[in-house]
Amino acid sequence: MIVARDLHKSFRTRTGTVQAVSGVGFEARDGQITGLLGPNGAGKTTTLRMLYTLMRPDRGQIEVDGIDPARDPMAVRRALGVLPDARGIYKRLTARENIAYFARLHGMSAARTAERIATLSAALDMDDILDRQTEGFSQGQRTKTAIARALVHDPRNVILDEPTNGLDVMTTRAMRQFLFRLRDEGRCVIFSSHIMQEVAALCDRIVIIAKGQVVASGTADELRAQTGEASLEDAFVKVIGSGEGLQA
Amino acid sequence: MNALTTMWIVMCKELRDILRDRRTLVLTLVMGPLLFPAIMLGMGALTEKKLRTQSEKELEVPTIGLERAPNLVAFLATQGIRAVPAPEDLEQAIREQRVEVGMHIPEEFAADWRAGRPALVEVLVDTTQRDSAIPASRVQGALRAYGAQVGALRLLARGVDASVAQALNPGTRDVATDAARRGRVLAFILPYFMILTGFLGGMALVLDATAGERERQSLEPLLATPAARGAIVSGKIAAACILGLATLLLSLLALKSSALMATGITRQMDVSMLAIAKMLFVLLPILLVGTSLLTLLAASAKSLKEAQSHITWLMLLPMIPSLVLMANPVKTEAWQFAVPFLAQNQMLLRIIRAEAVSPREWAIYLGCSLGLALLLWGAAVLRYRQEKLAIST
Repeated sequence: MIVARDLHKSFRTRTGTVQAVSGVGFEARDGQITGLLGPNGAGKTTTLRMLYTLMRPDRGQIEVDGIDPARDPMAVRRALGVLPDARGIYKRLTARENIAYFARLHGMSAARTAERIATLSAALDMDDILDRQTEGFSQGQRTKTAIARALVHDPRNVILDEPTNGLDVMTTRAMRQFLFRLRDEGRCVIFSSHIMQEVAALCDRIVIIAKGQVVASGTADELRAQTGEASLEDAFVKVIGSGEGLQA
Repeated sequence: MNALTTMWIVMCKELRDILRDRRTLVLTLVMGPLLFPAIMLGMGALTEKKLRTQSEKELEVPTIGLERAPNLVAFLATQGIRAVPAPEDLEQAIREQRVEVGMHIPEEFAADWRAGRPALVEVLVDTTQRDSAIPASRVQGALRAYGAQVGALRLLARGVDASVAQALNPGTRDVATDAARRGRVLAFILPYFMILTGFLGGMALVLDATAGERERQSLEPLLATPAARGAIVSGKIAAACILGLATLLLSLLALKSSALMATGITRQMDVSMLAIAKMLFVLLPILLVGTSLLTLLAASAKSLKEAQSHITWLMLLPMIPSLVLMANPVKTEAWQFAVPFLAQNQMLLRIIRAEAVSPREWAIYLGCSLGLALLLWGAAVLRYRQEKLAIST
C-alpha cells in the first residue's frame, strides 16, 4: 500500500525554477493496479522518483506500507520493486548475473536468488536469454531483464515507469498479463503511462496528472460519471484539457 | 546487510565487468608494462651508443690554418682527432650542424711558438647544440695535454723540474654512493611514470563505473536498491584500486626485468624484490588519491566524454614536481613529504638511490597522503549521496 499526500517538487535550472510537481496525492491499494496517466512532462516520473526515495519531496508525505521514506528510506527500498524510467542493464553481464547482482545487494541468499530467478524467468518467458550476455538484447529482452531485476526480492509494492515504452505488440501484451499476475498475487502495483488505452485496459484505479497536479482520479466508471462522457478516452481528454502529449 | 558486504558485492561486480572487456583490460594492464622496458632499454641503449661513438670514434675536425702547426696536427692524430682543411664558411657550417666542432690556428701561431709565448688555438663550437659537448671537450682536452707536454719539455730543457710549475694538483672525490650514481639516470623519468601509473591506473574502470554507468542509465536502478550509497561508491573505488594495483605491479616487474636485460648504467639500478615492494607501498596512497579524485570528477561530470576530458590535465599533474626539481633542484626537506606528487617523487628517489627513509618522514608521508585520499573519498561519497547524481536524463 502506497499513500502520497500533497507532493511538491521543484528544480532549479539555469533558466529559473521549474515546478515539476505541485500537489500530487493518491492512494494505491494492495491487490490493485493504480495507473498514473498524463502527457509527457506532466510530472509522472518525478512523482514516482519521490515514491522510490530517489528524490525528497519539497513538501508533502509519502507512506509505503506505513513507513515514511523520509525517516527510513532503506526499509522503503526493501519494500519496493522499481522499474525506473532509466533502465540500463550491464551489457557485459548475462541476464542472470544482472538479476543476481541486485539480489545480492538486497542481501538474498544464493539459493533464494536461484529460486526467484527461476520463478521470474518462467513468468516473463525469458529462459532462452537468461544466460546470454545482454549486449545486443532487443528492447523487449532488456525490459524483461530490468523487470526481473526489479522484482527479484519479491517486493509487496511494485512501481513501473512506462513499462511498455518501446515494446512491440506481442511483448506489450505479455507485459500486461504479467501486471495482472502481480495484482492477483496481492501486490500493490503503480505504473505510469501516457497511453490512454493501456491505462483503460489495465487499471483498477486511475490517477490523471497534468501540469504537476492531479486533475482527476477514481475507477474507470467514476471517471466516466464525473465527466459525463461515455468513453474513457473522451473523459481523459476532457479532464486534461487537451489530448496533446497523450497517445490513444 | 552491512556496508562491507555491499562494498564487496559491488567490487566483485565491477571487476567481473571489466574482466569481460578484454580490450580495455589489455590496454590498461599491458600498455604501461610494455612501455617501461621500451623506454628504459631504448633510452639507455641510445645514450650509451652516442657516448661510445662520440668519445671513441675518430673525430674529424675542420681546421683553419692547418699547415701552420704540423706537429700539433700529428699529436692530435695520435689522440684519434684528425684535423682536415676547413671549408670556406666554417662558422656557418657549425651553426648549421654540418660540422660538430672546428679549430682555428691563427697566422701568428708559428711566431708565438718559436718565441715561447702562449700560442693561441681556438676551438670553434656552438655551445647551444647539445651534440657538440663531447667532441668539443675531446678537442680541448687534447690541446691541453699537448700544451702541458710541450711546456714540461721546455722546462726540462732549461733544467727545471716541471712539477714546480704545478703549484696545485686539484682533484675531485665523488662521495655519491654507487646506488645513487646508478639511480641518477632515471631520476627524472622513472618517478613520473610510476606516479602516473599509480595515479591513473584505475582510470578505465572508474570512468566506466561512474560516468559510464550514469550514461548507460543503470545508475538509477542501482540507487533504488537498499544498498548504502557510500558502500556502492567505495566498492567502485576499491575495484579501481585493485585494477590499478595490478597495473602497478606489472609495471614494476617489467621495470625489474628490463633493468636486468639492459646494459650499462640502467642495469645497475636497485630493483631487488624488497625495493619493488617498497615502491609499491609508497605508491599505494597515490593510487587511492587518484581513483577517489577520478570518481569525484567523473561523478560530477555530465557525460562520459566530459569525464574523459579531465584526463588531459590529470596526466600533467604528477609531472609538476619533476619539472620543478629539474629546473630548481632543492635539498630534501621534511615538508616535501607532505606535498602530493612531490612526496612520492622524493620517496621513490630515495628507494631507487637505496637511501634510508626516517620514521618521521614515513609518518609525514603516510599521514598526509592517506589524509588527502580520505578527504577525496569522503567527497566522492558525499557526491553519491546527492539527489542530482542519480538523474541521468
